[in-house]
Amino acid sequence: MYYFDHSATTPIKSEVLDLITQINKSTYGNASSIYTLGRKAKTIIENARCEVAHSISAKPEQIIFTSGGTEANNQVLWSFLKKSNSHIISNLIEHPAINEVLKYLSTIGLSYSLANVKSDGIISIDSIIKNVKPKTALICLMMANNEIGTIQPLKEIIEIAKERKIMIHTDAVQCMGKTELNVSNLGIDFLSLSAHKFYGPKGIGALYVREPKTINSLILGGGQEKGLRSGTENVALIAGMGLACKMAYNSLAENKKLLKRLETYFKTQLKTIIPNAVFNGNQLNKIPGLVNVSFIGNKSDLILAKLDRENIAVSNGSACGSGNIKTSPVLTALGLKDEVNLSSIRFSFGTSNTKDQIDFLLKQLKLILNKNG
Amino acid sequence: MDRIIVGMSGGVDSAVAASILIDKGFEVEALFMKNWEEDSEFCTSENDYNDALQVCDKLNIKIHSVNFAKEYWDRVFKYFLDEYKNGRTPNPDILCNTEIKFKEFLNYAFDLGANKIATGHYVRSTLKNNQFVLQKGYDEAKDQSYFLYGLNQSQISNSIFPLGNLVKKVVRKKAEQLGFYNHNKRDSVGICFIGKRNLKEFLKHYLPANPGKIITTHGKFIGEHDGLMFYTIGQRKGLGIGGGHTKSMKPWYVVDKDLTNNELIVGQGHDNHALYHKFVKCSNLHWISGKAPEENKLKAKIRYRSKDIACKIIDSDKEKILLEFKQACFGLTPGQSVVIYEQDICLGGAIIESYSN
Repeated sequence: MYYFDHSATTPIKSEVLDLITQINKSTYGNASSIYTLGRKAKTIIENARCEVAHSISAKPEQIIFTSGGTEANNQVLWSFLKKSNSHIISNLIEHPAINEVLKYLSTIGLSYSLANVKSDGIISIDSIIKNVKPKTALICLMMANNEIGTIQPLKEIIEIAKERKIMIHTDAVQCMGKTELNVSNLGIDFLSLSAHKFYGPKGIGALYVREPKTINSLILGGGQEKGLRSGTENVALIAGMGLACKMAYNSLAENKKLLKRLETYFKTQLKTIIPNAVFNGNQLNKIPGLVNVSFIGNKSDLILAKLDRENIAVSNGSACGSGNIKTSPVLTALGLKDEVNLSSIRFSFGTSNTKDQIDFLLKQLKLILNKNG
Repeated sequence: MDRIIVGMSGGVDSAVAASILIDKGFEVEALFMKNWEEDSEFCTSENDYNDALQVCDKLNIKIHSVNFAKEYWDRVFKYFLDEYKNGRTPNPDILCNTEIKFKEFLNYAFDLGANKIATGHYVRSTLKNNQFVLQKGYDEAKDQSYFLYGLNQSQISNSIFPLGNLVKKVVRKKAEQLGFYNHNKRDSVGICFIGKRNLKEFLKHYLPANPGKIITTHGKFIGEHDGLMFYTIGQRKGLGIGGGHTKSMKPWYVVDKDLTNNELIVGQGHDNHALYHKFVKCSNLHWISGKAPEENKLKAKIRYRSKDIACKIIDSDKEKILLEFKQACFGLTPGQSVVIYEQDICLGGAIIESYSN
């Protein structure tokens, strides 16, 4: 298997998998139970909370475990339904886990605006400012885009938001292990994480909330997570996320270097074999290891299918439930024409990738693209 | 070995077709095609894809997918609406085969590196005297040659129909033996994009209804219709004018549509002469071999699953054909296709324009 789709998900680290299995076997107690097995489960959760908090320079009490990034995003947005100010600013390249939620919430009381993005995939600060209304309560701005990897000017936007007493949320699911995450330096209000994007398990994520009283529970019931996320805690997955955060934090510098090296090698070699390949988005200001390329004159779905025959996994556009490819709204927002949009492929490298694997990828791309004429 | 790409719909037939080709040693891949954007709970494309996915996993073959919704809309659905607008009863599934499955899909499969495509249609193709011949499926009850009469030599030469010699019962049995979860999935019926919903409700969504008078063949006004497009020649049910409940009063049938006056013409009784015609004039003539048959002892189907009716060609040119049936024929419907056979060989067909005696 040649796996180059780490922005979709990552293979779980064996240490993490072992820990999850071990906890599922031995510490099956309910964390709400007061006997030893329950207390042990509770302790595991709180240890993991500390690891997650530490990895983003937060306090443990600011971390709520959720089922993933999508739930974390939902929890923030739904909380704004009850606030007196009810206008939210998002943007054209935000993930559907933000924009689809806003679309729905706008039918039951919230209003929202989508700020523009420049052709290099970086948000237009002017457009955000222009969209500020007296009732604006929240700005959503992803830390790095999931399709093109561009890092957004979060610091500037936070300043703008603070001046206007607007809260700010960032979806940082693409960032753990690829760029420094420091919520106290940033001064952000909400931040979403998803464990499976950094070699942790699927089905677990976390929401950082600067002031937990500013948020409501999305799921009601037994009052777990201090009443902010009910439902019996998945102890093993929480522990797995804690360990994945710790490993990502400890190896950040090393990972960044590795990903950058793989990316540079791929891009340089690709340019020599496919000179008309176009790299989408700002190439200087992005997370390492994610490369979005337009192969003008080709169809990405055909390239994908042919790479798949060689056991190479890459992705394009936004594949929907029935596997069909549509134009990517992100690339459309950058101004790409449909034809170019549908010729684009995302390569996202990970820690297990090697130069040899990339050579194989390049060899196959050359074969496929030359055949396509 | 040849690489064959099977059109995988998520149904039993294409699943078994793929397994037969694998057994024959071909390199098989599947391609799932989406021709309609979901607009309501009636669209089952995602469920179908999930079924297809499970089948391909069992068969250990790759599945690709492609979206032809735009091509389908432009080349099939627009025609479908136009025909209804003109008071005719189109058969979009025939056009879907010639324009989408055996054109767009075929080309896409070639782009994917296929040598041939295969489908789960119940028909047979054979090479006779350097000509590809389309033969009815061995299972007469399932035969789908009616829908494929518009194919040409090149389309047939590039296609394989692995189910042509099988009966449906055997196909289902095979699906069960192979452990396909969909082995009991019911056959799709009717026009694919309408699915289970009501045709009338569906059409109302796209075309303005224009109500008018219902007039008998004797010129008597007996009720109101909801719009001519909602009715088809030979239709008995759903006219809303009663009748047929007593022995003395035979049921009413649609016998004609007067588009100029927006009137629906009805007549009483299944044996009403106004419903039977000996001659039919058709357009859009297509011969699978590329030319008209020399033999003139022919048979025709005037709609899917109708019995074969003996007929002969009275006159024909490249585009049009006039056929005479041996016996007057019930329910000829403008817009539907007449498909012409010689024994069980499908020779071609054309679209009904008008009829006479």
